Amino acid sequence: MLLTADLVPVVLATGASARVAAHVAPRFRVGDQVIVKNLQPTTHTRLPGYIRGKKGIVEKDYGVFAFPDTHAHHLGEKPQHCYSVRFTARELWGEQASDRDSLRVDVFDDYMDLR
Amino acid sequence: MNGIHDLGGRHGLGPINPEANEPVFHEPWEGRAFGLFASTFVFAGYTVDEFRHAIENMAPADYLEHSYYEHWMSAFEALLTKRGIVTREELDAKVAQLSREAN
Amino acid sequence: MQNAHKTLPEPDPAIRVRALESLLVEKGLIDPKALDALVDSYEHKIGPRNGAKVVARAWTDPAYKQRLLEDATAAIKEFGFSGLQGEDMVVVENTPEVHNLTVCTLCSCYPWPTLGLPPVWYKAAPYRARAVSDPRGVLAEFGLELPETTEVRVWDTTAELRYLVLPERPAGTEGLSEAELEELVTRDSMIGVGQPKSP
Repeated sequence: MLLTADLVPVVLATGASARVAAHVAPRFRVGDQVIVKNLQPTTHTRLPGYIRGKKGIVEKDYGVFAFPDTHAHHLGEKPQHCYSVRFTARELWGEQASDRDSLRVDVFDDYMDLR
Repeated sequence: MNGIHDLGGRHGLGPINPEANEPVFHEPWEGRAFGLFASTFVFAGYTVDEFRHAIENMAPADYLEHSYYEHWMSAFEALLTKRGIVTREELDAKVAQLSREAN
Repeated sequence: MQNAHKTLPEPDPAIRVRALESLLVEKGLIDPKALDALVDSYEHKIGPRNGAKVVARAWTDPAYKQRLLEDATAAIKEFGFSGLQGEDMVVVENTPEVHNLTVCTLCSCYPWPTLGLPPVWYKAAPYRARAVSDPRGVLAEFGLELPETTEVRVWDTTAELRYLVLPERPAGTEGLSEAELEELVTRDSMIGVGQPKSP
């Protein structure tokens, strides 16, 4: 396809959502206590190192999306749930961190386990 | 991958230095580089995740030293040469030609 | 791992871009007028004034604010703002108890339809490294200090959700129109590194 100037507005307004309309069972529910797996892929991932092995709580299930780890390498969409997971600042950064502040990271189903 | 791009929590990277009233593109070439994303995405067959991974695979020193749209250029060159859409030789020859014309 | 080692020095970026663009045009694969249109869209049409409209509406219309917090993508689309890098939006509300800050530690993910393209500092290493581990230090660098009783909540855009902060409506703005309120909403307040202007 050749992107011409007249197509630009509709391309921009439509975008390309990564949501997948597939029925996939979530492994987690809101409120679940989770631990991020010790995954160390040499390939693409959206699991940031600073949450690896850390404990969090599932706050929201955003629904089913294509999985970047496989999609980056044309190994399929492997659709799965993506969750907003709460981590306390102290859990991630140690006892010197604020005891009040927190983080939310978007974590794919494959990245975590129940604890 | 545990690459240089995985920056959350790192120390020693210096102050943030926000620029007041920044232009969207600092140079015309940045705008062209930006435009190349949608223009190549629609025909080249790469995924956004693959594009990001091409940037993650940059030499680490280049990743930290090069400006943002230079990251995009590294990714375009890697993705398009991988697919044989352009060759490294064609790119080098064109750069050499444009450099001569500029001087 | 490809490209792991630098071999030759990179050419001038302007020449590098012209080289690729001209090759692709010669091969009939891209239309330079499409590049013109893309540049024009983000230089002149799509920017933080979009997000300011959404925020001002939320400040003045409680029902809209509710829709925005429940289904941000649909509520933002009511203004005609939608699409690329904003297909799946989440709006997070600042309150006296919670101050939200958004970052993409892994790259530069940002809600384009509401804020346009991100500034250089947002995409660069210092912010991406420290927003998650030292948010109060980052906010101090932007001149924003928050009470110890406020929770700072940092959102790392690791997936395809895109986040917009709904800042608190400034005090003393009761009589202002929606258009006047829009003028107070700064881009930085919708990222979370600043507050809206005072009237």
